Amino acid sequence: MIPFVRVKWSFLHRIVGLRWKTNYRQGPLLTAAPARPLVDEQVNITGRFLPPHCPVTLLAQMCSEEGDLWEAFAHYNTKADGTVNLTRDHSVGGSYLGCEPMGLFWSQQPAPGSREGLRLRKNNVETPFVTLVSLLEGHVSPIEGQITELAVTTIERWYMAPGVRRIEIRQHGLVATLFLPPGPGPFPAMLDLWGFGGGLMEYRAALFASRGYASMSLAFKGHKDLPGPRKTMNVGDSYFRSAFQLLQNHHQVCADRVGIIGLSFGVYLSLRIATQPGINPACLISINGPVGSNVKLLDEEGRTETSDCEKKYWWYDNQGHVTFRDASFPGNLQPGSKVKIDQITCPVMYISGEDDLSIASIENAKLIEETLSAAGKSQLFTYLSYPGAGHLIEPPYSPNSRVSLWSVKPEKMTCLWGGNLASHAAAQEDAWRKILSFMENQLIA
Amino acid sequence: MTVYPCVLGNKLARSGIGRPRLTRGCLQMCVCVAPPSQIHRHSPVLMWSSCLSPWQHGDQHWSLAFSQMATPQTRPARESTVPSGSRIPSYLLLLGEESEAGLQSVCVCRVPELQTGGADHQETTARRCVSTQQMDVNPSCVQLSVLPSRGLVDEKFTVLVQKAPPGLQLTLHALHKCDDGHSWEAFAHYCTSAAGTINVSEDPSLGGTYSGVEQMGLLWSLRPVPGSRPWIGLRKVNAQSPMVFTISVYTGHQTEGFVGLVPLAGVEVERWYVAPGVQRIPVTEDGLSAVLYLPPGPGPFPGVLDLWGGGGKLVEYRAALLASHGFASLALDYLTPKVTLETGKLVGNDYFEKAYRVLQQHPQVLGSRIAMIGLSFGTSMTLKMAAYSEVIKLRCAVCISGSHVQPVDGSISEIMSFLSGKAAKTRVTDDNQVIWRDLLLPIPTDPTLKVDMGRLRCPLLLVVGEDDMNWPSCESAADMKDMMQRAGNSHLLTVLQYPNAGHLIEPPYTPLTRASYFKSATSDKKAIALWGGQTVAHAHAQEDAWRKILVFLRENLYGATDPTL
Repeated sequence: MIPFVRVKWSFLHRIVGLRWKTNYRQGPLLTAAPARPLVDEQVNITGRFLPPHCPVTLLAQMCSEEGDLWEAFAHYNTKADGTVNLTRDHSVGGSYLGCEPMGLFWSQQPAPGSREGLRLRKNNVETPFVTLVSLLEGHVSPIEGQITELAVTTIERWYMAPGVRRIEIRQHGLVATLFLPPGPGPFPAMLDLWGFGGGLMEYRAALFASRGYASMSLAFKGHKDLPGPRKTMNVGDSYFRSAFQLLQNHHQVCADRVGIIGLSFGVYLSLRIATQPGINPACLISINGPVGSNVKLLDEEGRTETSDCEKKYWWYDNQGHVTFRDASFPGNLQPGSKVKIDQITCPVMYISGEDDLSIASIENAKLIEETLSAAGKSQLFTYLSYPGAGHLIEPPYSPNSRVSLWSVKPEKMTCLWGGNLASHAAAQEDAWRKILSFMENQLIA
Repeated sequence: MTVYPCVLGNKLARSGIGRPRLTRGCLQMCVCVAPPSQIHRHSPVLMWSSCLSPWQHGDQHWSLAFSQMATPQTRPARESTVPSGSRIPSYLLLLGEESEAGLQSVCVCRVPELQTGGADHQETTARRCVSTQQMDVNPSCVQLSVLPSRGLVDEKFTVLVQKAPPGLQLTLHALHKCDDGHSWEAFAHYCTSAAGTINVSEDPSLGGTYSGVEQMGLLWSLRPVPGSRPWIGLRKVNAQSPMVFTISVYTGHQTEGFVGLVPLAGVEVERWYVAPGVQRIPVTEDGLSAVLYLPPGPGPFPGVLDLWGGGGKLVEYRAALLASHGFASLALDYLTPKVTLETGKLVGNDYFEKAYRVLQQHPQVLGSRIAMIGLSFGTSMTLKMAAYSEVIKLRCAVCISGSHVQPVDGSISEIMSFLSGKAAKTRVTDDNQVIWRDLLLPIPTDPTLKVDMGRLRCPLLLVVGEDDMNWPSCESAADMKDMMQRAGNSHLLTVLQYPNAGHLIEPPYTPLTRASYFKSATSDKKAIALWGGQTVAHAHAQEDAWRKILVFLRENLYGATDPTL
């Protein structure tokens, strides 16, 4: 069965299908190779059999799982041989500029008229993201009236490689999803933690499995199978210890090669797990997160008392978007929640977006570096800092959302994450490569 | 040293790691020394190798001859003496096969302790293995990748093994489970390079189901696993789901029993007939039994009418693949449509004209740019339509493994009767395989018995295999060429002729079916038809022919100038 997401042709009604002009030797052809890549693989998009030195537009359109249309377009001029090749040629206008082979993906924005505060994320990782890429005549933009379409191709981008197994974990009180690579194993592993938005986001763990790591994404808040009210974190240290050990003891996992990756609040959680007695991850990857809790804690186990950080730290920009950044400055973190960084014994890679408007990333990174140095462990620390990148540094080629909907009740709130589209995309691409390389060095070699 | 391979064999089997392979008359084994706490599958090991020859079950007295393990990159070995009677606190036993390339580990087993021979034995000399790194076949280190992991059936992939010790013998293995439950496998023996890699596109296979440098050998050399039903072919019925292959790498040069072995690594690869966005639309109007595959996008697209052979039924995968290359393709069942199944009557020529009109009038098809492609009996129909139909105007035609010999004014049933009238010329081999190529030989000179090729107005591509045992395709091609030369339209003809290729020339990288069960749509008898072809030549022929077929279709269907004018 083709997991075919029916592209809404009604959105494309403005495109007139008029392809055959007798002054072409052969009809224009648009190809994408590979046509079914993994989400973090580069796709080579090429147009051929076009007139030489001719303006063309490439338009990418995709329907998200929620039914919103995301699109990006770029203007190119064909070369003397009548080709346009996105790995070689420069965009001279549109959603991005310059030579950007994957620009049509990371520069996608919700189409005009869409709902506000959207963020592009995949919940079902067993089906691909389907993007329709069209080659249009001239330098046009999607909102224009008459457009002549020359050729079309469809690209499926997958989070799961063939053979990757997805296993739902609901035992010992844990709420998680485990992804295992194909093959006999045993495999190195990663525990995957997200931020205080909660839920169970599987796509990064699925990608790690596609790259050969047994990966488990762990829910700790805001999931129907977890105990207590959805807005607070009602699980504590024993829950996280249990999760780490489940992964470590899996018969297809190398027990001494288990790392932890965390984003945002997940950074604090991963650091806290790493300093638990008897828990010894092989490496830690921390993206834009605090060393302590920015949300008030309930007890020694680490459960939270409230659902948000203190109101005094809320800051609104002139468009009404909120940020809780101030709560995450090292000095403002919840007393007693700061993790004892000096007890960490494994290599740590910390990644900062310099335009992170949600967490005081640079300040927390500095604190970790200083603490490790003071303990004589500066060789454990690797720091990556990306100018123009925001809070949500995710697997590459997905578009950054500078703001997105944070909550609907009791009032509608949009949260400010930061990040400029192009710089953030470059950061995601570089960071992902460095993350995989770090994992290879720490968990495989 | 009291070692009983049979017992060990049982122990090894129980440990679930693998079955040792014993070379006849000789047990090659390797003893490793390391404290137990450090032993797990990932620690480097020190190893000795010994060759016991001959070995007798129950015999506790034999002399051990330790031989040096050498790989091209080893440092010189150092000798150390192990006094007889001493206890070697060995905890890990590796059964391996020793060759010029060094020791290859076949399986791993934990044993409590081994003791060298007693006072009766001579002192044995053990040579210490040199670089432990090279001998370390650390499973979680060896990386296997096949890219792209999801590709089209006619795309090439790159199989890479990395991070293995250099000079190591490895076996690459492919496994595929068909829709109908049969399993197919292929394997090839390689030796890792000095950098510890194998690149199937560049390195030669030293043996297996294919040899030499063959980038796609793991696919086209697939064969039914031992114990399968004989005379089966590999054909995809559901053209919309991918074929899934498991590619694995094993230590040593294995030739059988893969099911019981644990590989070092394994990946899965999907091979699709449909590109993303290709749509499948059943066509049942006007009594047609057909399926239309449309490329993605609004179109319009040039069209292709796709015909298979005498077995009947609807074979969709080639049409699906053509749609993935930009052609709106209609796969047509002309031997077993609804009317034939219900009344027993075969359809007339107007059936094809109806199918052509359906394609021509489709809003996403360019009516003036339609081609026809036929295989085997489908060639007969294609040539008939191309030369005689008033309705069907083809831009070009592709005819694979077929003939122009047929009663010119005949309907399908008359052609079928003509063929069965010649049944006496059927040959049967010693294996009970049926050869039907002689039925139409010699090529008749009577003009009423063959399509008048001089009437052809469109470019024609003929694809024939010289080892075609089913139809006299080469002889027919030669005669067609002759007819067209005399008629003055031979500039339209291109012949692709392949030595040692058989009858079933299909899209590339699928294994050759040299003979298989066949039941004609118009008869009740099932026979083992010999199609012909030699595996390697046929695989290369399929690859070359498919590429040229696509170029031919693109030139004639996408090009601006009308080739029929």
